[in-house]
Amino acid sequence: MKKLKFRILTCIITFLLLSFFFPSFAQQVDNTLTLSNKLIKTDSRGEALGILGQLKDFYFKDNRYTEFVSLIKSFIGKNKTIEPLFNYYIALGRYSQLKYLEEAQDWDEYFSKGNDYRNEIVEKLEKAIESTGVDDIAHLWSYLLLWKFHRDLQDAFKDKALSELMDAALGYAKASKDASGIKRVADELLGDGQKGKARQLYKIYVDSLISSGADDEKIKEAAFGFYQESNLELAEVLYDVYIERVTRDYPKEKIIPILIEIARYFVYTDVKAGDPEYAEKIFQKIQDLGGKTSFNEDLMYMRAYNLEKQKEYSLAKDVYEDLIQYYPQSAYSDEATFKIAIIYAYVLKDLSKAKEYFERLSKKEVVSPEVVSSIYQLGLLSQWKGDFVKAREYYDNVIDKTKDETNEIAALARTRIQEIVEEKPIEYNLLMFLDASLKESPALLEGVKVDLRCSPYKAAKAKDIHITSTAYAGESGCMQVELSYLWSGDLGSAKPSNEQTTFLTNYTSAGIKVINLVVLSPSGIVDRSLDFLSID
Amino acid sequence: MIVEGRPYIVKGVCYNPIPIGSDHSYDWWQDPNKPWMTDGKLMQQMGVNTIRIYQIGENPQSVKQVIRDLYNNFGIRVILGHWLGLLEYPCPFYGDKDFKERIKQEVLEMVRLYKDEPGVLLWILGNENNYSFSGLIHPWSTEEIDRDPDLNKRKIMRARIYYSYVNELAKEIHKIDPGHPVALGNGELIGLDVARDFAPDIDLVACIIYRGKTFGNLFNSLKVTFDKPLLLSEIGADSYDAYLKKEDQNMQAFFLESQWRQIYQNIAGYKTGAGNCLGGIIFEWTDEWWKHNESDEASWSVHDTEATWSNGSYYFDIKAPKNMNMNEEWFGIVALSEELKDGINKRIPKKAYYVIREFWRNPVLNNKNKNSRK
Repeated sequence: MKKLKFRILTCIITFLLLSFFFPSFAQQVDNTLTLSNKLIKTDSRGEALGILGQLKDFYFKDNRYTEFVSLIKSFIGKNKTIEPLFNYYIALGRYSQLKYLEEAQDWDEYFSKGNDYRNEIVEKLEKAIESTGVDDIAHLWSYLLLWKFHRDLQDAFKDKALSELMDAALGYAKASKDASGIKRVADELLGDGQKGKARQLYKIYVDSLISSGADDEKIKEAAFGFYQESNLELAEVLYDVYIERVTRDYPKEKIIPILIEIARYFVYTDVKAGDPEYAEKIFQKIQDLGGKTSFNEDLMYMRAYNLEKQKEYSLAKDVYEDLIQYYPQSAYSDEATFKIAIIYAYVLKDLSKAKEYFERLSKKEVVSPEVVSSIYQLGLLSQWKGDFVKAREYYDNVIDKTKDETNEIAALARTRIQEIVEEKPIEYNLLMFLDASLKESPALLEGVKVDLRCSPYKAAKAKDIHITSTAYAGESGCMQVELSYLWSGDLGSAKPSNEQTTFLTNYTSAGIKVINLVVLSPSGIVDRSLDFLSID
Repeated sequence: MIVEGRPYIVKGVCYNPIPIGSDHSYDWWQDPNKPWMTDGKLMQQMGVNTIRIYQIGENPQSVKQVIRDLYNNFGIRVILGHWLGLLEYPCPFYGDKDFKERIKQEVLEMVRLYKDEPGVLLWILGNENNYSFSGLIHPWSTEEIDRDPDLNKRKIMRARIYYSYVNELAKEIHKIDPGHPVALGNGELIGLDVARDFAPDIDLVACIIYRGKTFGNLFNSLKVTFDKPLLLSEIGADSYDAYLKKEDQNMQAFFLESQWRQIYQNIAGYKTGAGNCLGGIIFEWTDEWWKHNESDEASWSVHDTEATWSNGSYYFDIKAPKNMNMNEEWFGIVALSEELKDGINKRIPKKAYYVIREFWRNPVLNNKNKNSRK
């Protein structure tokens, strides 16, 4: 008894001292007490949710999960109408606690109490589910948390839990007018990569927005809002509805500008997240509605560039060809022609078409960086074919046309001339790329893939650019496949070794640069790739 | 699996007790200090009922002694395996008649020698030999394979040759020893769609699986691919954080506990799981200090901290340079001390040892919710 009195006295003194020196502490405790009292007395589900949310934020921000759970447990039996919410919040507390323990690597508690917490999560969620109807948000949240719990454990219940969650969400959508609950579940599913199921629920959410009387502008506004929040999946579902409506109601002339505006949001750029695939879907709609003439010069370039960044080189080439056909005087003409030629040569293995475009560009009177690069490429193809006289002519022409000593293409031409003079083969990495790209070769191994990316894709001279490659050589267990990375092409200031998967570079001259990569295993070529980047 | 009329969940560890300062060539089977006696006692206390041996020692009497010591003293059974020449230089020639015959005689000799030992549980043929089908590691070929320019067809041709060979071995083993099952050692499930047609006589699949916290859909996938019982013949995690560059026994324990939870959820009789899992074998019992740079003798006495392979499923340290996060010398659930005790490196159980011991004693699977929810 003496001990208990001593403890109480210690607590009171601690509280008074804390309150004296830290008034905000007293205020927070006072606030918690007020909220607790309100919670016990309220018969409003909405008010209870608000209070529980505040209490959760208050305790969770300092990771005081056990205190939170104890507090909520103390309410059990004191307000029967909102008891399912208490059960849900206890489970949420324990779930968050386990996540925190794992993230903080606080393993002592994780291992000693983890199973107790897991049991408590399941037990409380079961209670919450059993005591609520399909139209109760606590019912839906409990299923959501149960799915997240089983998903994290990756246990035998995870598929069943997901299917039950979907049933609960569909039931809730029918029984309740509250669409926000559905959106929350969809957001969680999307976060977990369950795109199909997320879209299914987003559609329900969108239907409820529409049935609430939202007009076209409201839908467009909502779509743009979600786009700005980077919830592209939901934005796309809403834009799809919006497009369907305007396509039905508006004349073609009015629809196309709307579609163009939407496509612009989703195209690839270095600075913002987009969805290039969705953008291309919209571009295709524009073409279906108005034909290729609906695309002005900028828009056509944007479409081709967007396809190029998806590594849809063949399709990008088609649009670049349209661009130079419809807008031969375009500012993008040299870039487009050069890229068409490169794609014909090194992606499609069509050397005669590649040469046609390189030659077309090489004969231009106004010498752009792409004109010089095309002449270099003609030299390279001649050298690879063994026509050293012709190759030398092209390389000399490159040097003549570039007065700048630091020009990178001119430097490459000098290296190639030296190879010819010294009767040496083309530099190994480059030769491997040319052989792999231009010769007929058997199919590469399925499931083996090299991805090549530059960041940013558009940069000023002397600015750093990260070139990264990811090679997946197939399953090999704990035996590492020894891979070599054969870099070639316009590598700028960098000289990456064959062991480097990534490197940093910059350029002294403007123009379109082409990075080549061949990935080699001990038994041969794994894959090859190329990428374009642009220097202003 | 039923052993002597009783259900048997394989609670195993891979066993290769190489002392600090030695490499894989060390013949521990003939170690006068009998490390398996110290280890067997610790294993028994933990609940281990099976050890897996990759390749038997050269002296049959020593091998029999180890098997008998472990079984008679601690009730621990032994899974005996054979690499089927995977690690031979320059490569395994599964298309070569002489090579196959030599390996076959080695395997059958192993079976003849040890089949009557009561401590033997089963045979595992091969380990991750199927990764050689792509030609990217331990590349082997035949004239017929080389004639086909299609790399994907070559892969399938290799798989057919290899699995047919394993099937032939399994049939031969069954003739000599009908009392023990024969397992096909396989890396992941790769190639098992071919094995279904070319290796029907094997009794079970012994898969090497390193998937971190979860096995994903492994158990159900196997049912669809090659419906044989599954023994997880290598699972585990290392206890070194390659990102923070420090030992982390908790990380290892965390992954292992999660892996065992799923093994139990998929063993026969557990209604909601796939029901095809026979148990698991943790890689491995003790750390092996020689593995990082086996050609450098000096490094056999150093517990190297440089990772040698990458696996994103072990996510705590995947941000290590070049994503190299798997520290081959730190997979033991028992650490080795340089201090000697009873003539061998002193054994220091790591956290995973205790966590898995507790799990095996009281496997909590969160299965309470399955019946009550409608």
